[in-house]
This record gives sequence, structure tokens and C-alpha cells, in this order.
Amino acid sequence: MKRQSLFLLCAGIGAGAVTLALSRRQPAPPANRIPARRDLSNTPQHSSGTVRAARRLNRAAGLLATSVLADSGVEHYRGSFKNRAMFTPLIVSGATLAISAHGTADMRPAAHRVRDVTYALAAVTGLVGTGFHFYNVGRKLGGFSWQNLFYGAPLGAPMAILLSGLIGFSSERLRESQPDEQQGPEIFDLPAGRMLAAVISVGLLGTTAEAALLHFRGAYHNPAMYLPVTLPPIGALLMAQVCVGTRTRHVAARNWMWLLVAMGFAGSGFHAYGISRNMGGFANWSQNILAGPPLPAPPSFSGLALAGLACIDLVREHPDA
Amino acid sequence: MRDPTRHKPADRYPGYDVLSKRNGPSWNDKTRRVVDQRLSIDDEPRFFAADEFALVQAVAALIAPQPAHRPMIPVAGLVDAKLHRGESDGFRAPNMPRERDAWTRGLAAIEAEARRAHGRGFCELTKSEQIDLLEKMQNGELHDAAWGEMPPQAFWKHRLSHDIVMAYYAHPTAWSEIGWGGPASPRGYVRLDFNDRDSWEAAEAGSSDGDNVRRINRGIR
Amino acid sequence: MAFDDPLDRPRAAGGRAPDVFRRGGWVPMREYRDSEPVDFVIVGTGAGAGTLACRLAEQGFSVVALDAGAYFRPLEDFASDESEQTKLYWTDDRIVDGDNPLQMGSNNSGKAVGGSTVHFAMVSLRFRPEWFKSRTLLGYGADWPIDWREMWHYYAEVEDALKISGPVTYPWGTKRPRYPYRAHPLNAAARVLAKGCEAMGISWTETPLATLSAPRGLAHPCVYRGFCVTGCSTNAKQSVLVTWLPRALASGAEVRDLAMVGRIDTGSDGLATGVHYHRAGQWRFQRARNVVVAGYAIETPRLLLNSANDQFPDGIANSSGLVGKNLMVQSNQAVWGTMEDEVRSYKGPPSLAITEHWNYDDDKDFFGGYAYMSQGPLPQLWANTQLGAHGLWGEQLMTAMKDYNHVAGLKIVGETMPQERNCVTLADEVDQYGLRIPRITFSLCDNDKKLIDHSLSFMGQALSAAGARNIWAQEDDTCHLNGTARMGDDPRRSVVDADCRSWDIPNLWICDGSVFPTVGGVNPSLTIQAIACRTADRIHQMARRGELERLPAARPRRVLTPSA
Ligand SMILES: Cc1cc2nc3c(=O)[nH]c(=O)nc-3n(C[C@H](O)[C@H](O)[C@H](O)COP(=O)(O)OP(=O)(O)OC[C@H]3O[C@@H](n4cnc5c(N)ncnc54)[C@H](O)[C@@H]3O)c2cc1C
Ligand code: SF4
Repeated sequence: MKRQSLFLLCAGIGAGAVTLALSRRQPAPPANRIPARRDLSNTPQHSSGTVRAARRLNRAAGLLATSVLADSGVEHYRGSFKNRAMFTPLIVSGATLAISAHGTADMRPAAHRVRDVTYALAAVTGLVGTGFHFYNVGRKLGGFSWQNLFYGAPLGAPMAILLSGLIGFSSERLRESQPDEQQGPEIFDLPAGRMLAAVISVGLLGTTAEAALLHFRGAYHNPAMYLPVTLPPIGALLMAQVCVGTRTRHVAARNWMWLLVAMGFAGSGFHAYGISRNMGGFANWSQNILAGPPLPAPPSFSGLALAGLACIDLVREHPDA
Repeated sequence: MRDPTRHKPADRYPGYDVLSKRNGPSWNDKTRRVVDQRLSIDDEPRFFAADEFALVQAVAALIAPQPAHRPMIPVAGLVDAKLHRGESDGFRAPNMPRERDAWTRGLAAIEAEARRAHGRGFCELTKSEQIDLLEKMQNGELHDAAWGEMPPQAFWKHRLSHDIVMAYYAHPTAWSEIGWGGPASPRGYVRLDFNDRDSWEAAEAGSSDGDNVRRINRGIR
Repeated sequence: MAFDDPLDRPRAAGGRAPDVFRRGGWVPMREYRDSEPVDFVIVGTGAGAGTLACRLAEQGFSVVALDAGAYFRPLEDFASDESEQTKLYWTDDRIVDGDNPLQMGSNNSGKAVGGSTVHFAMVSLRFRPEWFKSRTLLGYGADWPIDWREMWHYYAEVEDALKISGPVTYPWGTKRPRYPYRAHPLNAAARVLAKGCEAMGISWTETPLATLSAPRGLAHPCVYRGFCVTGCSTNAKQSVLVTWLPRALASGAEVRDLAMVGRIDTGSDGLATGVHYHRAGQWRFQRARNVVVAGYAIETPRLLLNSANDQFPDGIANSSGLVGKNLMVQSNQAVWGTMEDEVRSYKGPPSLAITEHWNYDDDKDFFGGYAYMSQGPLPQLWANTQLGAHGLWGEQLMTAMKDYNHVAGLKIVGETMPQERNCVTLADEVDQYGLRIPRITFSLCDNDKKLIDHSLSFMGQALSAAGARNIWAQEDDTCHLNGTARMGDDPRRSVVDADCRSWDIPNLWICDGSVFPTVGGVNPSLTIQAIACRTADRIHQMARRGELERLPAARPRRVLTPSA
């Protein structure tokens, strides 16, 4: 069991890295594949920017899934996988990660059925997981007391896989939407960029709430622990502006999203430092990976911020989006 | 005290040995040194005379009878070592001598009581005669002059049974027997709730299959 | 260097003291000559002494603190082993008698730099405000000469200095500030207490504990190893050894380990002149302008009585005749049972959950109150409880011990009444230093017994409601020691005043658990430390006004602000 979870952790981190790397290489579109749903007759009109944005959303969804894979792996291992359902987020986030990698590499302007289904599944898993966690905490002696909020099943955690699913699903909608001169890309008949901005804004706030709760548990013993509860809400505000604003250039929002990307990765570094401060440090990893601050959690901010960047570009290219 | 409705095997933690964690993160150098030292103590007296020592062994077998499926703990040797080092509990009743004197006098008194009642030494008595004598001591029903000022109950309570039981549960074999996690530093524990077990803790054999439990316990590091 | 045994020869010497946060490490230490009269020589380095030494040194006074115990570095010196760690206890010879002779040693007194806090259970509770005036407001015991509002201020200071981890809101009593660190996760043993309370309809909460739930400086957070009362090897436990004393050293105090004080001298003017102490094989004399005694409630009166001289034939500071009198313990009875579930109470600090319900309920047929907490005995302690309190031995004991991982228990910390017949006197026998050993006489009074009966019956119901079976009561235990040099307003009826200053000898101070007029129903160390902080502030004020004998008004020389 011990080895199993370590493997999952490493695999998750590795896969996340691969996703990012792939996204840089911009591989050629796979030839001779029959697109899943749409006929490609109008491909030329399709904005290449939309596909790029969609791929970047896939990448963001992948990073979120990586974070979930590793985090739920560790946390559910800590919970000894007492319930079979505790394997679900691992399988789903693993699959989400894989199809996100696939989506990131895929240049075609069409949705992909497997990806679609997987992302939808991820979103549903997030919802069901949240329900499970609420049920578990509520059922504990003391109910929704601080003790159970701190140490019971983390209420906000499954939201990350929901967000991953939503962002991925949006990416697919983006690919299949056909913007023209009059109208930008759409998701469910709503302007894609703005709708995504709203999701990301809310996602950032939710993730902040999770960090706030857990950092309160740690009594903010290190001033750096205030960063993830102060920077992301400002990002959420900026994304809200992207959502409802009239401007298209959003320089501040873009810079802030890059700041959050960096903050997320730096967060893992801080958490590694936190683990090293526990008794026995990394030599006592079998305890401290579980007991110390969660290594894989902070990059979920990076994932959201990457999605934010994609969404800002989308709005710039399609001011109506 | 045991609940008759619960059917638990005699060996509750089959295959579990706290010493298997000795080289892992649950033990620090100081603990290894201390426990190694204790494990090197054998059933050889350094404080007691040979006949006293045999008597301590006989009494220890009654107060802390050892299970057949685990290696023997040299209880008398551990008691002897403590007295040899001259360790004290730090308090005593006014008519109680200090530790060493209390033991020497108490053992002599037990021997005297056995001879007075049965004409034989304590070690030659039958088990039920031996137990009977210990119970009398516990109840203050012994009066041989060999006790001096020392009340037999006080000797039973504060020296004889106390020192023997403390010696027994100072030994890793006893820790394994009751499924205690054992030394735990630097690595402590993570899973604290009901029925939660860290992978470095002993699994208990319940109604579920003992072989699986044995396999888990053998794998603990 | 050969293996350096802290029990063998003094470590704090040669201008350095052990760095408790680093294996083999040292920190610089200022040293004073015996012939150089220091502002304060302090006997002990425990809850009272260590706190006071730190605060006085930070105010710029010259301070030497002497302790009979060893200077440990927990990271390297503490084994995960009950027998080995008896090295932390005061196990010098003591006689116990009375109707209910106390168990000393491991049960209630420490001998180490850091005092009993090195092996205490870290429960850090405030008194109920009314207890400071229990005679006037509640009709029993004696009033404290201190107002609770002042204490509330000092409690907050100590809670912050120790980064107490506690519940977000405390269910009982007057409002208190939020604990600096969050509560620890509950273990199963604590959940048994919680279940029982919920079933009985009373409140419970996570126990405020002096152990870290998050890192602090070089101290690691708690790893839930459960060896707290045998010494914490991670420094998570915020004992005096790892909190006040490093601060004291940094501010120029000197700590002398393995230094047993045998006698306080007084001059012809009736003032104390210094202390005789035994260190490294010889008797020495440290001169001092002020002497503070803080050796806990047995050793403090013993030292005062052993210091009798022609001028003070009944012992020094004893014109009231109350030195050694009014010894109060706390009742520490328990109920134990077995659960169908695995509890494994050896994990985590022993007392993670608490109810103070009966401290705040005044509708009882006895005086005083009690708190009760969950328990986590390690094997030797548990076997000894089964043997001594439950009377099991032989096969019965062996069988019962197999249920170790299923045991849950609830244990009280109960108030006992001050009684003059409960006392510390001197026996004729002497110890290894040639000093007369203490005789400790203790008997429960009827009120104490009523309280105990009430608690056992209530906890029995609670434990049964929580699902435990085979429940039995442990009726014999006590903990904590207080009251043998009580403070008060009246020199005829107390040993020291509200500032812990002797009525008889104005440059002699007593600053430890001995000064309690009543004990209340909570563990005492937070209160001892709060009083020490208050005493330090009072000394500072009096010194500034030139009200202290032998301390010119110009002092203190430099004033450091206490670092956070
Ligand atoms: C097992 C256990 C658990 C406890 N748990 C708790 C708890 O959870 N919460 C709580 O509040 N309290 C607890 N206590 C009690 C608490 O530790 C004490 O009340 C507190 O430490 C007493 O402080 P003190 O300053 O009076 O004495 P101590 O802290 O005992 O300090 C006295 C020091 O003086 C030294 N000394 C004594 N005489 C001399 C001398 N003549 N010369 C030199 N040095 C001398 C001793 O070596 C010792 O180091 C516990 C105690 C024990 C034993
Ligand atoms: S449980 Fe925590 S406080 Fe207690 S000994 Fe272990 S680390 Fe220290």
C-alpha cells in the first residue's frame, strides 16, 4: 500500500510535467484521423486562436487533475482506502490527466468524444465527492465543528476535480464552436471567454477558502501562509472584471495570473520546506508526507491561473467572447 | 474481566514483533541503545544470591505467567538488574525499607513462611500452595518474624508484584504480545481514529483470517 | 569525546549550555562567580523558576538558576522507553504516610532542568475566575490575594509564550483570547470522551495543550507518538526546557545543572545571603542579593525547613508556622473500560479531549470542582494500573493486558481542600547529600471523597454511554502538588504575599506551585507560570521604586523587551 501510493504520487507529478512539456512542443496535428463529431468543412474559417485557447485549457485541466491525483492519492491512502469509492478520484483524475495530455497535443478544431465523456465524468465525480465529504464530516461526532473541518474529509478538495472537468469540458465546447465575424466562440450559447472567466473566478475563491481553512489550522505560523489567501482573491476579482468588463486587454489580470501560476508552484516548495520541519524530515517520509502540509495541493492554483490566461487570450482575440 | 462473547485467539497479534521496527524510522539511536542493553540482560543474578534468584523466578512465573508462543522474558534477571543499578521509585511507607533491603528481607520472609507452613522451600511447593501463600501475603495474613517491621501487604504491593510486572512490561516481547506500537521517534503516528491503523502498527487477529494478519505483521518495518 | 552522559557530570559549564534544539549543540551562557553576589539566585528551573529566571533576566537582572536535575537535549537524550525515562523523575528517598499515602516519583515530581514540565502532560488550563476568591464567593478554602482580571492578562502572556494549541472557542467560563495554535486532531480515546459527554448532555472540547500543532522555530510539531509523560523527544512539547530557558540564557541568565541546593543562609540582619549547593562532588556557596525558592511543593518547604538556624529555629520564612502545611494534591481517579472498536490510546498526547463541566456547575453537594480527560497509558503504566488499582495478577493480568488496544479511560483532575494536617515535615533519615528527607503526610477529607464519588459515578455512566464494557473504577490515584507555602494578605496566615515575597525575609521569594492557597479543578502549571510572570513584573516595579532590599534603585541595568 505504501509503495502504491508513492508510485501514484510520482506518476501524477511526472504526468503533469509531461503535459506541460507537450504543450510547449506544439506537435503537428495527427494526420488522417476522423474527427469525432463535426464535419471539417469549415475548418479554415475556424480561428486558430480558439484551438490554441482550447489546448491551453486542456493543459490547465491537466494540471488541476495532476494536483487532484496526487493529493487524493495521499489523502485517501492516509484514510487507508477504507471505502472502495475512495479509489474513484484517483482513477478519474488519472483519466482526466491522460485525456488532457491528449487534448493539449490535439490541434484539431473539434471536440473529442472520449475527452468529452471523461471531463463530464470528472465534473460529476467532483460533485459526488463533495457530497461524500460533506456527508462524512456531518456524520462525525461534533458535525461541522472546527475539529472535523480541520481533520475530517476536506470539504473543498473534490471541487478541484470538478473545476478540472468544467475547464476541460469548456475546452471541448470551445473547439467545436464556430466563431465568425459577428460572433466569438461560445460555450452553451454563452460567450466562451466570459463564461470561463466566471468559472475561474469562482474556482479561485473556492480554492482560497480551502487554503484559508487549512492555513488557519496551521495558525498562519509562517507569514508566507497568507499569500494563497490574499493573492488569489485579487485574481478572482480581476477575472470577474474579465467576465463583465468591456475592455479587452486585461494586462493586470494577465500579470496576476502569471503571479498565481508561480505562487502555486512555489507553494509546493513551501510545503516541502514545511515537511522538512517535521520531526525526522524527509527521512521520516512515511509519516511526514501524510502529516505535513500537502505537497500536491498548491499547484491547483497554478492550474486555475493557466486556465485564466487562456481565457484572457480568448477575450482579447474575440472581444465579444 | 474478559468479555466471554468476544472470541479472540490466544495470540492476538500473530507474527508481530516490535523489534522488526528497530532499524526503521520509529526508533532513534538512544532507544536502540537502551533496548539493546535491556535485551542483553539474561537470567543471571548480579544482585541476588542464587537461591534468592530461583525464588524470584518462581514468583515471577506466578505473577506474570508467560505465553508459550513467545520467547521467554528474563523477568527475574530484569528485576535483579534494576536492583543492581540501585534504582528507586522515590517514595516508601515509613516502615518500608529501601528497595534492596525490602527485597532481601521479603524473599527471606517468603522462604520462612513456606518452611513454617509446609516444611519445604517455596520453590518446592506445588503451584496451588505457592499461589495460596502469595494470596495470604496480599491479604496480610502472614506473620513470621522474618518480615520485621515491613508489612507483607506493602511488600507485595510496592515491591514484589510491582517490580515484577514493571520488569515484564519493560520487555519488547511483552510489547509485541499486547500489540503496542513500541518506540516511536522520530516516526510517530498519523491515523488516530477508531480502528485506524498505521501501516507500521500491529494488525489484530479478530474474526478475519489469521494468516493475512500474520502476513501484515511480518511485513511491518 | 566519550559518550556524554548528562546525569554524570554538569553540562552547563565553561561558558556554554546545551542547545536543546540541536544534537550535540551548544549555546553561549554567561557565568557568575560564587563570590559575586547576583541579583537573584533561583532554586529550581521548573514551571515557576524557569519562567521567573527568563523574565528577570530579560529585565536586566543578574540571575543564576540551580537545578538538581540534568540538562537534557531531548532530540538525542530521550528514548522511547518508559523505564529509561524514569531519569526525569525525582526519585530521591521520600517517606509517605497518612490515610492516603501519596505515590511520588514518576507520578508527580520531576528532577531535570525544566522541572516537572519536561514530563508533564501539557494540559494548560486557566482557573475559573471565582476560584481566586473561593472563600468569599464559593464558601470554601482560602482567597487568593490576586484579582482574576490580572491573572487573565498573565494567562494570555503564558499561552502565547507556549503557543498553546486549543479549541477555536472555549465552551466554559469568562471569555478568553483565541489560543495561539489550533487544536490537535482527536484520537479515538478522546472521541470516547466526546461520545460520553454528548450522551450525558454536557459540553466537551479539545484540551488546550502545550504541544505544537504547527512548527515553531526549530521545534517540530507533535508527531502523536504518545510518550509525553516520559519526555517529548521532538521538542513539540513546550516545556520550560525549550521555551523560557533558551530565552533566559539569551538574556544573560546562568543555569547550573546537577546542582542540589541544601540550605539557604541568612545574615545577622535577618536577610538571606545566598545558598549552599552541591555540584560536581563538592559543596559551594553562591552569594545573592535575593533568593528565590521554586523547587515544587515538597522540595520548597523541605529546603526552608532544612535551612533552620539559631535565628529561625523552625525553618526560615516560617513565622506563620505554615511552611509545609496545607499540602494539596489533585484527585486523579479514573474509570476504565473496553471498547469493541480498536482504540489504541497510545497514539497522541494522552489527554486530547476534556470536559470542565463540573468545574462550572455549582449545583453539587460538595465544594470544589473537577475536570476529566481522556487517557493514553503506555504499557508499563497500564500494567501497573491493572495490578495496583484493579488487583489483577497472574493469568488474569495477562488476559486483561491483551485488551490493551481496546481500553478507554476517563480521569479526573479534582480539587482537594486545603488541610493543615496534610503536610511536609522532615524525617530523621538523610539522603545522598546528607540532607534530611521529607515526610509527606496526606489524607483525603470527606469533601474530597464526595467529589471523587461524584466523579466516578458520573464518568462510569458516561463511559458506558460511549459504548464501553467491563467498566471499573481506579480509586487510588492523585496528581500534582501544591500549597505548602501559601500566599495571602495576612502574615499570620500565609507564608508569602501576593508578590510571592516572604513576609519574614523580604529578599526571599517563593515562586512555584507551593504558593497556591487553593488548587481548583484544573492542572496547575499554566497558573504557576502566570504567577511567575506577574512576580517578575512586580519585582521590576518595586526595584524601580527602590523598594527592594539589597537592590539599589538604579536597577535594573538594562531593560530588554521580551521577544515574542
Ligand atoms: C506525570 C505528570 C503529568 C503532569 N501533567 C500536567 C499537566 O498536564 N498540566 C499541568 O498543568 N501540570 C501537569 N503536571 C504538574 C506540573 O508539571 C507541575 O505542577 C509544575 O511543573 C510544577 O512547577 P514548579 O515550578 O512548582 O516545580 P517543578 O516544575 O517541578 O520544578 C522544580 C524544579 O526544582 C528542582 N529542585 C527542587 N529542589 C531543588 C533543590 N533543593 N536544589 C536544586 N533544585 C531543586 C527540581 O529538580 C525541579 O527541576 C504534571 C506532573 C506530572 C508529574
Ligand atoms: S505526542 Fe507530541 S507532545 Fe507527546 S511526546 Fe509525542 S511529539 Fe511530544
